[in-house]
Amino acid sequence: MKKFDYTITNEVGIHARPAGLLVQKVKEFDSTVTIEKDGASCKASKLIALMGLGVKQGDTVTVSIEGSDEQTAAVELERFFKENL
Amino acid sequence: MKDKAFGVLQRVGRSFMLPITLLPVAGLLLGIGSSFTNETTLETYGLTSIIKEGGVLYTILDIMSKTGSAVFDNLALLFAMGVAIGMAKAEKAVAALSSAISYLIMNTAVSALITAKGGAEAMAENSTTQVLGITTLQMGVFGGIVVGLGCAALHNRFYQTELPQMLSFFGGTRFVPIICSLVYLVVGVMMFFVWPIIQNAISHLGELVLNSGYAGTWIYGIIERALIPFGLHHVFYMPFWQTELGGSMMIDGSLVSGAQNIFFAELASKSTEHFSVSATRFMSGKFPFMIFGLPAAAFAMYRAARGEKKKQVGGLLLSAALTSMLTEITEPLEFTFLFVAPLMYVVHCVLAGLSYMLMHIFNVGVGMTFSGGIIDLTLFGILQGNDKTNWVWIVIVGLFYAVIYYFVFYFMITKLNLKTPGREDDDGESKLYTRADYNSKTAKDSKDTVSALILKGLGGKENISDLDCCATRLRVTVNLPSAVDEKLLKQSGAAGVIKKGNGIQVIYGPQVSVIKSKLDTFIESKASDNLEELLSEDFSDIASDKNTLKPDLDSEKTFILGAPVSGKAMPLEEVKDDAFSQGILGEGAAIEPGDGRIYSPCDGKIDAMFDTLHAVNIISDSGCEILIHIGIDTVHLGGKYFTSHVGSGETVKRGQLLVSFDIKKIKDAGFEVTTPIVVCNADEFGSVKALRFGKIKANDDFISIE
Repeated sequence: MKKFDYTITNEVGIHARPAGLLVQKVKEFDSTVTIEKDGASCKASKLIALMGLGVKQGDTVTVSIEGSDEQTAAVELERFFKENL
Repeated sequence: MKDKAFGVLQRVGRSFMLPITLLPVAGLLLGIGSSFTNETTLETYGLTSIIKEGGVLYTILDIMSKTGSAVFDNLALLFAMGVAIGMAKAEKAVAALSSAISYLIMNTAVSALITAKGGAEAMAENSTTQVLGITTLQMGVFGGIVVGLGCAALHNRFYQTELPQMLSFFGGTRFVPIICSLVYLVVGVMMFFVWPIIQNAISHLGELVLNSGYAGTWIYGIIERALIPFGLHHVFYMPFWQTELGGSMMIDGSLVSGAQNIFFAELASKSTEHFSVSATRFMSGKFPFMIFGLPAAAFAMYRAARGEKKKQVGGLLLSAALTSMLTEITEPLEFTFLFVAPLMYVVHCVLAGLSYMLMHIFNVGVGMTFSGGIIDLTLFGILQGNDKTNWVWIVIVGLFYAVIYYFVFYFMITKLNLKTPGREDDDGESKLYTRADYNSKTAKDSKDTVSALILKGLGGKENISDLDCCATRLRVTVNLPSAVDEKLLKQSGAAGVIKKGNGIQVIYGPQVSVIKSKLDTFIESKASDNLEELLSEDFSDIASDKNTLKPDLDSEKTFILGAPVSGKAMPLEEVKDDAFSQGILGEGAAIEPGDGRIYSPCDGKIDAMFDTLHAVNIISDSGCEILIHIGIDTVHLGGKYFTSHVGSGETVKRGQLLVSFDIKKIKDAGFEVTTPIVVCNADEFGSVKALRFGKIKANDDFISIE
């Protein structure tokens, strides 16, 4: 399992558009991706759950990746977060 | 449209059955009681020594007469309640209560206006009456029917309406009596001004009758029959029976006015050689069609009924026919075809009028106490002798009438395919229509999983001995407290469960009256018989996972989402935001809102109401993850101009108000209000497509998911 923390810089947080993009990205991989904020967590492939976390600018989330392609997924996702979130 | 109107008429006709079934009994009491307490009758037959005022027998008969007329005097109230019960879709008791209070309010409003005008004396003669001690306009049964129909319509519209949280105590069934009362206050005021105009026109018809000889008698008969459904016949015939309009005559030295008064004066007089037909022409005509014609019509309806239904409608028609013949009350029979086949009633009016005219021509002088059945025929015709009354002609014309009524009615029913009792389409019932309403409704509501959960939680239908609700709780009496499953009840949205012996209280909050009425509907429906199936289908994971209300997806079914807002519907591709137009967030459609109120598109649970209130996630009971996003980039408003009406985690019903917003201010702030509604987990379903584009109203069927 791979893990990284990230502090959101996007001013609207993980809201509609960025959340939709993240879900699409996550679905490219076989690994299961989980996002955690303040003890609440959800699968990053579930858009509605992801938005339900209510992640805002300045919040820090923990992203965990587990599965056969977790190495590549972790690298690409970290880049995705930096570019979009 | 025509079919719909017809279906409603048919239901109206059937809803009359409940009050009508009481009439034969009341008629019998009144008929016997009043005949043998009538001074004239007693004197004529020398019964004054056996039955005298203050005596036991007299008092018994007087009680019969008065209790019988209590029913007839309050017929309008009975109809108001009976029609409301018949027409209400559910929670019938509330409809009946609303209708009763509305009827009182309408009449009281009229009464206050009559007082303001100077009391009953200031009104036209015979135009006012006493209803339950209220001086009001003589509106007859019609007044009650107007109230019953109106209240049922209001009831069906509002009994499941939820009001904003603050006012929710007054929501649902509790709102119905309130709105009905207010509406009928206004109707009462209107009636005071409109009804006298109609009454005036009717009383002027009397002059026409007097100036037209035999034809006048015919017109009298037609009008008298035609006015019965409107309760206006009293205004019309009473002047003939009781005032000089019906003639004046010197009998045994005193001047008597009015047709009925003349007849009874002649009955009492020893010098009468033949009853004055100029008076009885306003009465005798009833005998042939009541004793012979209408029962033959009933037989025609029986013969025309479909084979398998004959037995069922036979009892109904036979008792109605006997009622017409014996107790002189025709409404039970007339109302069976008045509403389902108005044309038959027209024919009936014409024939009835003709009957009056024939009696006039054949010089028949038989009077009556209040209507023309076998009892009155015997007392005032046969026992008086043919020399005085020519009563034989009633039988001759009557037999003729039986044949005519039978063939004309049979011919009309079969040729025009009229839906008289026993000829309804297959799904119809030959009694009240309400059961069919329930069943068709069930097909739609079979997914009422909240009610299913509650019912299961309470241990099933068998376990409930009494179900009620107060301001915030369901109050249930169960047979076996141990069968109650608190976990299931909490999953249904309950805030808490209190057990005290056999009494169970499930706390839901002020919206409980809506929950209860839905539960009632569900218990009545067929779906509740298959509780296990229903829940195992939708809630197979419920036993193992108590934290989730989310059902398994059922890929074979179609779900419909309602439009969340009124406005103009458009394809998602036209939304000026890539995240939506490219389908990144899911499939669906969008609406350019016409007003600022967002309603839930389905039954479900609010998964997230965003802090900024511009978007809301709902997980439907059917498992769809729905995002409603109000406006484009409106997240930047930070919640300004938005008001939420529900919070995260709350269960919602389709059509429930979720968020309101100020379109103008949002637009002035530079944002578009285009509102996409998307299914985020669309890939778990076969297809998500909009059912319509263009103008749309909130809660119209909008998106179909398969």
